[in-house]
Formats: sequence, C-alpha cells, structure tokens
Amino acid sequence: MREEMAEFVRDGLKEAGIDTIITLPDSRLKELYPLLASDSELRYIPVTNEGEGVAIAAGFWLGGKKPVMLMENSGFRVACEPLARLGLTHGIPVLMILSDVGVIGEGNWWGIAHGITMEPLLKAMRVPYIIVKHKNEVKDAIKRAKLHISTSLYHVAIILTGEITKKQ
Amino acid sequence: MKRFDCLKILASHLTDELAVVALGGLIDEWHRCRPGNKNLYLKAMGAVTPVAFGLSGALTHRKVISIDTDGSMLLNMGILATLGNERPKNLIVLILDNECYEVIGLAPTHTAKNVDLAKMAHGAGISNVATVRTLTDFEEKLKKALNSNELNFIVLKLEPGSEVFPEEERKRTNGEEDKYNFVRYIEDSEKVTIIPREVKSIRKIQTSYAWDK
Repeated sequence: MREEMAEFVRDGLKEAGIDTIITLPDSRLKELYPLLASDSELRYIPVTNEGEGVAIAAGFWLGGKKPVMLMENSGFRVACEPLARLGLTHGIPVLMILSDVGVIGEGNWWGIAHGITMEPLLKAMRVPYIIVKHKNEVKDAIKRAKLHISTSLYHVAIILTGEITKKQ
Repeated sequence: MKRFDCLKILASHLTDELAVVALGGLIDEWHRCRPGNKNLYLKAMGAVTPVAFGLSGALTHRKVISIDTDGSMLLNMGILATLGNERPKNLIVLILDNECYEVIGLAPTHTAKNVDLAKMAHGAGISNVATVRTLTDFEEKLKKALNSNELNFIVLKLEPGSEVFPEEERKRTNGEEDKYNFVRYIEDSEKVTIIPREVKSIRKIQTSYAWDK
C-alpha cells in the first residue's frame, strides 16, 4: 500500500465518523496501521485474534461508538464463529475492512488459501461486501457500510484491493 | 460456594452498572436476581468479556461487569492479553468457575485440573486479580472492585449446580430482544442513537406534478 493511499483511507474512515479501530495488523495494509495508531482522534486497539476483535468491536457499537475491525482476509475465517453468534443470533453488527491476500496475481503461495476462502465464506455467512478497487470508491464504500450495519443490524465487509493495496 | 448465592450478592451491590452475561444455567438465575435492561445476555461463548471490554471503552464513565465463565474464557484467552495491555479502568471481570461444562453433563473444563485463570490473568498484565472461595470473601473483593478505578479480575470457585425455576419465571426473551432491550436502554440513558430511526417519511407535500389532471 502506498503512503498516500494509506492517508486517503485514514481520511475516509475519519470522514465517515469511524472513531475506533480494532485490529490485528497484516502485511498488505501495513502502511495504514501506524497512521491510525498515531491519530489522536482515533482509539486504536490491537488484539490477539480476529474473533476477539470482532467481539470487542461489537461492544463498542453497543455503547454507541463507530468501530471498525481491520484485518487480513484470512482473519475473517478466524472470526466466523463469534460473527455468527453476534450477527445471526443477536443482530449485533460489526463493520470489517479486509485486505485482499490471494487474489489473482498473488505472489505468495501461502496467500492463495485466503483468496480461495474469502468470498465463499462471506456468502455462507450472508455478509454483504463491497470490493473496492479504485481510489474514488473508498470513501463512499466506508460511509455506506458504516450506515448499513446499523440499519440492517448485520455485518458488512469492505475488501480493499486493486490500486488501493498495490505497492507502486 | 453456590453460583446463585454469589449472584444474589452481586445484584445487591449494583445500581446503574452494565452487565454482560454469559450463557448456561446462569441466565435464569441472573434474570431472577437482577431483572431489567441493564443486562446484555450474550449467547456467544468466548465473546462475553471482549464485548464487555468494548462496552467499557465506549462508555468510560459507566462501570461494566463481565459475568463470564471458565468455559467461555478458556475458549478465547487472548482477551486476557488485550485487557492486560489496555487495562480499562471501569471494567470488572468475574469468572464463574465451576470447573465443568455443567449443562452438557458436568464434563470437566481445564480449570478442574492444572489451569489457574487468575494466575494467567496476572501473567497477562492484569494487576488486580483475586480468587474467592467463600461468599464473605467474594463480597469483600467485589465491594473493593466496585469502588476502585482500575481493571479488576475475580475468579469465583463454585460448586456445580443451578437453581430451577418454574417455566413462567424463566427469562423468555430471545437474543434479538435482549439486544434491543439493552440498546434501547443505552440510547435512553446515554442520549445517543445506536439504531437510526427510519428516514423521515412525512415530508412537506410539494410536487410540480399535477396529479388532478
């Protein structure tokens, strides 16, 4: 991810009213994390696994805050059980932003599994998602997804890919 | 030490505190001890203390109590490390440790053998940690925790056993209702909007179209 794009995503989060970042950092979005952690207007909470993270995000939402869970797409696999309980059993929603490890063109053999499982799992969990490929889609996606979790009372995922996460 | 007796003591010391409540036989007991909408019953093992921590972060001026269990905490122990680093000042974590998965036939949890959740919490960086085995000790530690401005973690060593209530006295709400009841309470008491109202439908009637022609 280029530095200027990381700044653009951070600005998009803040403009949408996101006030709390829960995260397990990953390599694809690594330039974004220090920007968020050092921003005095955001609460930044690193966690030990994504299942814990989505539950913490749910707690912040219940208390009236606007949190987002930021993670690698493999983290969605980890988070499925608490997400099912929170979303399907209670209607307590979580907004998630996922990186795009494993899409076509992936250079790491270990990342292929992440690409294979991401969309089928999102569909199995009935989580609506927006695949963001272009810069001009970022802010609108965050804004809409943030509203949608509170009107649908269910999770929404944003997948950052294409020119958002590319290095050059 | 019986769980129901501990819950009665806990409820007697609460006013506006928010409680996140784990699943199992505990639910009907807590419903009897402290009816009302300041409780979030959560059918999600492993998510109880994380959700309580999130609530405590969102509402830093309110005391939040996680009424969690040994089985639930063992399912997702990473939260201990997060709590040890974040140290929310307004959170009390209670672990109702009966050393078994009671509702599925008393199968032992790991705390029945060598695992000590209090020592693990302390090792994770939580400073105020206690294990209690008597009601007197529990009440004393609870009062101290309620009056403190720091994260507290108390393991209650319990004998297995649940109170049985007539059907009509058991909690009858489901997970969706429990969420709504709790959220509406938070919205009213905190003057915030969590679930937005529908887009205003009664608008000023104004149109350029001549419907009558």
